[in-house]
Amino acid sequence: MRIFIAGAGKLGYKVAEALSRNGHDITVVDTDDQALQRVNNNLDVLTAKGNAAQLQILEQFNMERTSIVLAVTDSDETNILICQMAKELGCARAAARVRDPAYAKQIDFFSRRFGIDFIINPDQEVAKEIGRYLVQGGAIHVEQFAQGRVGLVEYSVSLRPELAGRMLCELDVFHGLLVVAVSRDGEIIIPHGSTQLAGKDVLYLIGKTPDLKAFAGDGEPWPQRLLPRNVMILGGGNAGFYLARHLQELGAAVKIIEQDEARCAYLAENLRNVLVIHGDGSDHDLLEEENLSQMDALVTLTGLDEENLLLALLGKQRGIGRVVAKVSRSNFISLIEQLGIDRAVNPVLISAAAIIRFIQGGQIASLSLLFGGQAEVVEIIVTEASQVVGVTLADLNLPQGMIVGAIVRGSQVTIPRGDSVIRPGDRVVVFCLAALVNQLERLFYRPRGGFLRELWHGRKDSGNPSAD
Amino acid sequence: MNFGMVGRILGTLLLIEALILAVPLLVSVVYGETAASAFAWSIVITAAAGLVLTRIKPGSDTIKAREGLLIVTLGWAAAAVFGALPFFFARAVPTFIDALFECTSGLTTTGATIINDPEALPRGILFWRSFSHWLGGMGILVFTLALLPAIGVGGMQIYKAEAPGPSADKLVPRLANTAQLLYTVYLGLTVLAVLALVCAGVPLFDAVLLGFGAVGTGGFTPYSTPMGSVGGSAVPWALAVLMILAGVNFSLYYELWRRRWSSLGSNSELKVYLGITVLSAALVTMNLVRSLQYGWGDAAKHALFQVSSIITTTGYSTADYSQWPEFSKAVLFMLLFVGGSAGSTAGGIKVIRLMVAAKLVGREVRRMLHSQALVPVTINGRVVPQETVASIASFVFLYLGLFVAGTLLVALAGTDLFTSASAAAATLGNVGVGFGLVGPGNSFSFFSGPVKLLLTVLMLVGRLEMFTVLVIFTPGFWRQA
Repeated sequence: MRIFIAGAGKLGYKVAEALSRNGHDITVVDTDDQALQRVNNNLDVLTAKGNAAQLQILEQFNMERTSIVLAVTDSDETNILICQMAKELGCARAAARVRDPAYAKQIDFFSRRFGIDFIINPDQEVAKEIGRYLVQGGAIHVEQFAQGRVGLVEYSVSLRPELAGRMLCELDVFHGLLVVAVSRDGEIIIPHGSTQLAGKDVLYLIGKTPDLKAFAGDGEPWPQRLLPRNVMILGGGNAGFYLARHLQELGAAVKIIEQDEARCAYLAENLRNVLVIHGDGSDHDLLEEENLSQMDALVTLTGLDEENLLLALLGKQRGIGRVVAKVSRSNFISLIEQLGIDRAVNPVLISAAAIIRFIQGGQIASLSLLFGGQAEVVEIIVTEASQVVGVTLADLNLPQGMIVGAIVRGSQVTIPRGDSVIRPGDRVVVFCLAALVNQLERLFYRPRGGFLRELWHGRKDSGNPSAD
Repeated sequence: MNFGMVGRILGTLLLIEALILAVPLLVSVVYGETAASAFAWSIVITAAAGLVLTRIKPGSDTIKAREGLLIVTLGWAAAAVFGALPFFFARAVPTFIDALFECTSGLTTTGATIINDPEALPRGILFWRSFSHWLGGMGILVFTLALLPAIGVGGMQIYKAEAPGPSADKLVPRLANTAQLLYTVYLGLTVLAVLALVCAGVPLFDAVLLGFGAVGTGGFTPYSTPMGSVGGSAVPWALAVLMILAGVNFSLYYELWRRRWSSLGSNSELKVYLGITVLSAALVTMNLVRSLQYGWGDAAKHALFQVSSIITTTGYSTADYSQWPEFSKAVLFMLLFVGGSAGSTAGGIKVIRLMVAAKLVGREVRRMLHSQALVPVTINGRVVPQETVASIASFVFLYLGLFVAGTLLVALAGTDLFTSASAAAATLGNVGVGFGLVGPGNSFSFFSGPVKLLLTVLMLVGRLEMFTVLVIFTPGFWRQA
């Protein structure tokens, strides 16, 4: 697929990285030389300098032959304009990033009248993600696949100290679950039977939802619909706004602390039953006055990563049960979760995953990026043409770091073993290291092709069924 | 430094070279020559070395700038060493240094030969000699990238280190597709060249060899004298046009194919390149006619041929221009330094760098008058970034510095100044033909072993545009931090 990305910022870069690895032809346009330089040095994509809302640039890259235009520049208006122009010039699909909540209500209008197929609002995605986490609760993080039949759980060994120091093969607790990865000090380990667990490890488990519940819940029901009663949000930006609204609708008592007076006025006007406090979120006295230690959850959403981190640590020190911090730099996420903060949320990764889901459309039913994008879990609908069909998993010889976690056939879920066979129409949930994504793609989507064709094309050609 | 990945790619390169050597082997077999066994042995040795290297399991598959530079330098050195084997085994040359010189000269598209009597060589060897021009013209690693796109992201580092010219631009998003497109253009141009030459009356085998040399801007010929009498009278004209075409930035042919005429018209490097060629040819023509050696027609033919041969760093000659008047010789000597356009198969400094250097001088002059003026250097109406300007200025300086050093070292061996200077310029610029003892029709065989080795290094350094090779010899390159 030919994909045109306007904007080489963090989101543009991340999406270009993931898509070029999946074998698409990517062009990235930006006005900033340095941003382009970074893209050019690290990714196999074409870069061009210029304003993508200029007719000349769009015409130069022939929109009629472009499958998708992705507008992720800083400005909402520019993004909408780019998409509209690209559509006008004959591009098949267009997606834009639109952040301003003022536009959030007219997204339908944009799609209908301007023909913009997909609008991503990172702040809203962040709010959704945090909301989901807070509602699910606990020290585990859950992703769901195959309409909730299969789950991926992030489980900290510290919750069950008796597991530490043991080898995986001697443990008899993972009934029907697959340990697909272990995160240790920010590094991913692909486990095998003799992998020894350490106290601070985080396990990634795939399994049937009831089995996961039985394992992770261990007494408590899961997903434990335990809505935190008192939530404090530091930073009343757009993400804070959406989150407060969401939690309030669910019935939580929400406090927002925001520094900017005008913004406070806006929040107070637009949020009902939410306590908006004008003040400095890093001011201890203010936090004490607002009963920080009595909160069930603390979410730090200020514009500064450092501030979010320090405040989240403060919250953890005061014994708040669930602490979430927004961190914009994706490479630090694993480091941050080691510090004891329950969850670090990265707007870029969340938005990138949403965009990739939109682009891959058809075959990829859902996808989540783990470890700051170093690995992903995808749900793939396997077609007749795929190379994996009809062969036992043992014979497929999947590379280390690519694990089929579950096969869903109709309503029946199988946690596969060596002799399991994938059939056309199955949904498979696969864990895959980012470095192997192109192989994943070759195995699961590409029709069987000759060795020579593979050698010549390296990755894939336009005859790929995943296109459009 | 990721030595595993460096080794793997070098191994792949050698395996491809072994495959390529099968082509001259086939030629040798078809003509029933004994040289076939020389090729067979070379293939076995090259393939064995390649197999050993490809067995290396790299720790990771990242290629950063360092690895890219090392891969390109070592890749070219290795290709030259293994490509020299057939010359040595077939006893076409007396020593291995001679074989190395000949093969490096071929791959770097220099065309300086140490073979006095090419007519006596087996056809397989002659074919390999000219075929190496064709391989090296576009870059052997670009060839590897085109064949094996799996190298992927790190490929950009390799491409940047190998591509001729100040900046390496892709034509399409994927590097591998860019490499394939460039090779398609190159192949098309080669077929055109061979057809044109055959139509002009050159025998097929010679037409293929001359076509390889012209399109790769190499310069090996199967003749020991200037090629005045080959084929019909149209041959010099045809070759002149082909050489000029090979000196044009290949991405422009892609633009042409996409019917983007405007990018052709607005390309100032193309205009300057053609301008220099036409102006020089006109000057030489007038000078030749005034000195009463030739009539207008002959003068124009020889002048255009010689000018395009030297500006594109090919090094063919139709006449012994060392007999020409001093002014004509001076013009040709200057052209030894110019080289064709960036992104072509030509060597030398390249027209675009000279344009930037000239504009830099112009800027300094304006600054003398308006000390506070902000005068950007622009090419095609676009501002050239300050770092690029600085790197181009240091490139030109380093180029001239290496020319001086080369001249001094060759002269140290007792060669006369004009010969020394033109030998250094002709090897550094990958031209392959100079003045004096290394003039048209002469060979480099009289130089001593060490001088040949020096000139071999100059050819390689010139082809890889100096910095790629020189950085390997800095201690900082090898420091782990």
